[in-house]
Amino acid sequence: MSMPALEPASPGTTPARQRGLRRVVSAFRDAHGVSKAVVWVGAAITAAFILLAIFAPVIAPYDFDTYRTADGVRFEKQEAPSAQHPFGTNVMQTDVLSRVIFGSRTAIEVVALALVVSLAIGLPLGLLSGYHGGPLDRGLVLVMDALIAFPSLLFAIVIAFLLSDTFGRGVVTAALAISIVYIPQYFRVVRNHVISVREEPFVEAARAIGAPPRTVIRRYVFQNVVQNVPVIATLNAADAILTLAALGFLGYGIQPTQAAEWGYDIKRAISDAGAGIWWTGLYPGLAIVLLVTGLTLLGEGLNDVLNPVIRRRKTEPVRFPPRPGNEGTP
Amino acid sequence: MAGRSHSLRRYLFTRIALAIPMLLILLTLVFLLMRVAPGDPISAALGGRLPQAELDRRRAEAGYDQPLIQQYLEYLGDVATFDFGTTIVDNRAVTDVIVQNGAATLELTLAAMVIAMVTGLTIGALSGRFRDTSIDVGGRLFGIVIYAAPVFYLGFLAQLVFGKWLGWLPTSGRASPVVTFELETKTNLFLVDAAITGNGEAFVDVLEHLVMPATVLGLVIGGVFIRLVRVNLIQTLKGDYVEAARARGVTERNVVMRHAFKNALVPVVTVVGLQFALLLSGAVLTEQTFNWPGIGSELVRYLDNRDYIAVQGIITFAGLVVVFVSLLIDVVNAWIDPRVRF
Amino acid sequence: MRRRGRFAATLAVFALVLAACGSDEPGDDTGGTTGEPAPATDATIIHGTTDSIVSLDPAGQYDFGSNQISQQVYSTLLEVPAGGTDPEPALATSCESEDSTVYTCTLQEGLTFSDGSALTSEDVAFSFQRNIEIDDPQGACSLLASLATCGKWKEGAIETPDDTTVVFNLQAPNAVWPAVLTTSAAFIVPSDSYPADSLQPDDQVIGSGRYTLAEYRPGEQVVLEANPSFYGDPPLNARVFVQYFKQSSALKLALEQGEIDIGWRTFTPTDVSSLEGAEGLNVLEGPGGEIRYFAFNLSLPPGDELAVRQAAAMLVDRQAIVDNVYEGTVEPLYSMLPAGFGGHTEAFAERYGEGPDPDGAAQVLEDADVQTPVELELWYTPTHYGDASADEYAEIERQLEADGLFDVTLESTEWDQYTEDAFTDGYPAYQLGWFPDYVDGDNYISSFYSSASFLNLHYANDRVDELIGVEQASTDDAEREAAFEEIQEITAEEAPIIPIWQGTQLAIVRDGVTGVEETLDPTYIFRYWLIGKSE
Repeated sequence: MSMPALEPASPGTTPARQRGLRRVVSAFRDAHGVSKAVVWVGAAITAAFILLAIFAPVIAPYDFDTYRTADGVRFEKQEAPSAQHPFGTNVMQTDVLSRVIFGSRTAIEVVALALVVSLAIGLPLGLLSGYHGGPLDRGLVLVMDALIAFPSLLFAIVIAFLLSDTFGRGVVTAALAISIVYIPQYFRVVRNHVISVREEPFVEAARAIGAPPRTVIRRYVFQNVVQNVPVIATLNAADAILTLAALGFLGYGIQPTQAAEWGYDIKRAISDAGAGIWWTGLYPGLAIVLLVTGLTLLGEGLNDVLNPVIRRRKTEPVRFPPRPGNEGTP
Repeated sequence: MAGRSHSLRRYLFTRIALAIPMLLILLTLVFLLMRVAPGDPISAALGGRLPQAELDRRRAEAGYDQPLIQQYLEYLGDVATFDFGTTIVDNRAVTDVIVQNGAATLELTLAAMVIAMVTGLTIGALSGRFRDTSIDVGGRLFGIVIYAAPVFYLGFLAQLVFGKWLGWLPTSGRASPVVTFELETKTNLFLVDAAITGNGEAFVDVLEHLVMPATVLGLVIGGVFIRLVRVNLIQTLKGDYVEAARARGVTERNVVMRHAFKNALVPVVTVVGLQFALLLSGAVLTEQTFNWPGIGSELVRYLDNRDYIAVQGIITFAGLVVVFVSLLIDVVNAWIDPRVRF
Repeated sequence: MRRRGRFAATLAVFALVLAACGSDEPGDDTGGTTGEPAPATDATIIHGTTDSIVSLDPAGQYDFGSNQISQQVYSTLLEVPAGGTDPEPALATSCESEDSTVYTCTLQEGLTFSDGSALTSEDVAFSFQRNIEIDDPQGACSLLASLATCGKWKEGAIETPDDTTVVFNLQAPNAVWPAVLTTSAAFIVPSDSYPADSLQPDDQVIGSGRYTLAEYRPGEQVVLEANPSFYGDPPLNARVFVQYFKQSSALKLALEQGEIDIGWRTFTPTDVSSLEGAEGLNVLEGPGGEIRYFAFNLSLPPGDELAVRQAAAMLVDRQAIVDNVYEGTVEPLYSMLPAGFGGHTEAFAERYGEGPDPDGAAQVLEDADVQTPVELELWYTPTHYGDASADEYAEIERQLEADGLFDVTLESTEWDQYTEDAFTDGYPAYQLGWFPDYVDGDNYISSFYSSASFLNLHYANDRVDELIGVEQASTDDAEREAAFEEIQEITAEEAPIIPIWQGTQLAIVRDGVTGVEETLDPTYIFRYWLIGKSE
């Protein structure tokens, strides 16, 4: 062991009949009390940002790189918030509000892409490794453990470096750099879960009646494992946003001419702080905090409902760690 | 007892045997990443100044065009002898970088850890104790929000408020220039150095510089602790022995403080030990924000200059520490809890 | 600072235009060898910078930050005084030559290094030979090319008939050699304590400069103390702290909080405009030789078309870039030879006008039957030349596209990759900047426009090459300036390179700090010894 990972709920708690992602949906219904509030608030914040991302061109007063009004009058540089620019303008002479709104689009694009890629690789590897065991499993575990031991932010930086030549300094590069960081985490969680599910009576039974491994994996193991994915994916998404911002802040992320990115905007705003210009950094930062909080609430709430271990009387402590992969970012 | 130490030894042995291939994979990874990445220190420093032919000549001179496998073997040999090489961009032994700048990072992270512990344990314990009350909701929310804030953003706000507007605290560096120079450095931990040499003025100066970065980093890590402590406390509060204690009529206060809290800490400590990577990444960003001359900001500088000897050395060192710490924790766990050994 | 008449006269003979090669300390003054002078004042100066140090060994440096500290702790045979352009005596009382090939320098009597050992002609020969033989990948031995090729020392290149006489036998006539003797490649190190074949550790620096190195914490701090055995006038302060910052914002805050006395290099335009008028702080400005430009690769479309380059030259609005991106902290540049250098003309302004000329550009493109909008892939590098590069190129894109004549695709990549691709036909058009090695017009002209330029633009003009030959061999100011002027005219017409702006040096100092204005000159040497503090 090296990284605390969100341990899957003990599989016994899962009603085998209600399989797959349907349980996630029912989580919203089943939740109650604080958990319910947490899930719903988290979902609302996340949904708000997704809407913001989708309708950015409609909602934002200007484009993310607009520097003048329609009739060609330039924006003032670093203008304090006003009626024309509710969040002011920044050193790039662009409208902070518009960049914050378009930033949500960038963040969600990057995170979605990163999730898809890391899931597409981590999930099958974890399934195979966990189900088959043996030397393949041992080898993969070793490699993934080494990857996790590598400080992930640096890992992402180097990957971003490597890819920027092929894909430029845009969304794709950032997403791929981030996804490589999360592959080992999905792998680990899925594999550990598979190992425990593998020994469950219903899987044993399926094997006993002669179901081929493919069918067993697909119908029984996968269906059981996949319901944990939304929780991890949500928490990882929160983390990925922080990693993206960190990349941007260090200057290895998305270039300002490609898309609006909150981390980069904060990097530029740091030199404004000394001049007492607060609006250029405050708002992008608030957007990060809000979105990450929303995703975390959603993930934690789902976890509470789906893995009700802490509601039961059990003595084994739950490793409920920071959250998988958080080391990328504070 | 003999049996116990025997199985412990066997476990230790297996665990170390497993650590070696992992380390090798890590080293290979570091090596490959640094070599495949574009650029080299020569073109980083002199590109756009010397003609291409002269750059190529210098690259060859410096041995950057040797076969990869040869460079790789040399690298492994060096690591085996704890020789991390000499940086290219400023001719420093990487071990010096680790010792000097590492001390600055250690000072920052230790202070941050203290702050993280204090906030994490207090708020986490309160949340766990008063579960599902408004205290709990507030504590959890604080934990989540503080963790959701990038450390450089908190740094930005802190600099704006305490540095720029209030002018209470210095915003960069470990100490004032004169203090840095005149302080007798024995441990390279400035606070300790100032304390043991009885230099009160320096102590205050160093403390002033330390407060803001350590608090910012500490709060972020504290956010993690809050969640951990809370969940584990809730767990243990439901344990049989806690029930038993309650049944015996022990007050709730004592149940929490004496019995549950201590037990709840065990997994927390394990996780804390595993936060090294988190600390390093956090340190990179904190140091960058506060101009803290630690190993993280040096790493970024070397990365910018494509000094792969330096980057490789520092990351290798970090990898060694991570592997060592996880080994240590596993062994300690195995020692405490024999079930782990099987 | 008294000058030696004889030297001045001698120099006038060679009179290289050379505005002093980039480096060195002015101070100087004559025979004042005897160890007297204690520091004139006991002031402590704290300087903050965002530069960094590669090596403090003269053989291992070719960068700004290293040179900056080396200037204080080492001495050269000749040096350029503050505000001056011509090399003047320093360790040497004179350097003479009849034919620009054999130079004979005479050292002052009784010179010593800071460790007390004597500085003789042996040490001088050792220092040059060592630099060439070590041939450090990050070193500047290439500046000494007229003495010997890097890595190939030539026996007899330097002769030392006695302790105070050094004879340089150059491989070919070089009128600019005295300027080279003021650069970082020409610092003198002690043969007793410096290894001949490897670099000296940075914490064991020994020189004969105005300061000694009291402390070096890499990336963090340098502490300099006045060298009591320095041969000339003592510094106006006893101690200098140099604090290294990663970001200009941190440097600026430290300045505002009073942690440092002087901030020099480099501030963002935002920093400067917010510090202007700040209480207790003064923004000082001096001429600078730093320039920015973008270049077309003439082997790739669309830059292979003369009309496209000319149209771009007409559309670029330098004043708008200066105002919008740099808030007036730099000057528009209309020639690759910046203002302040002999022979400078406003070639681009004369040819294309100062402001943007969309009609002219449209006409040029139409005349050449070029389809509009012209698709142009324009590259810049986001951090190497400062964060404002992104803003600058966004602005250039806006200008080129404003009238629909161009369709610009902005591309960027980090410096490492950038240097690999830009000079190997990877980019059709790309951003670059330049700092002078030494302060002579030749350093600007031949570096860019010679057919052997490192830029590899595939730009070659026989007349330009011929004129470069003329200015390099000539010691006649008028002849050189005429050559420079003609080159500028030709290259403005053919426009392979579009100059954008010229930097001004900005230092921000606290009240009571004196002498900084004096040292802000195109040599970019920050002479600590001229800086004092009044109460």
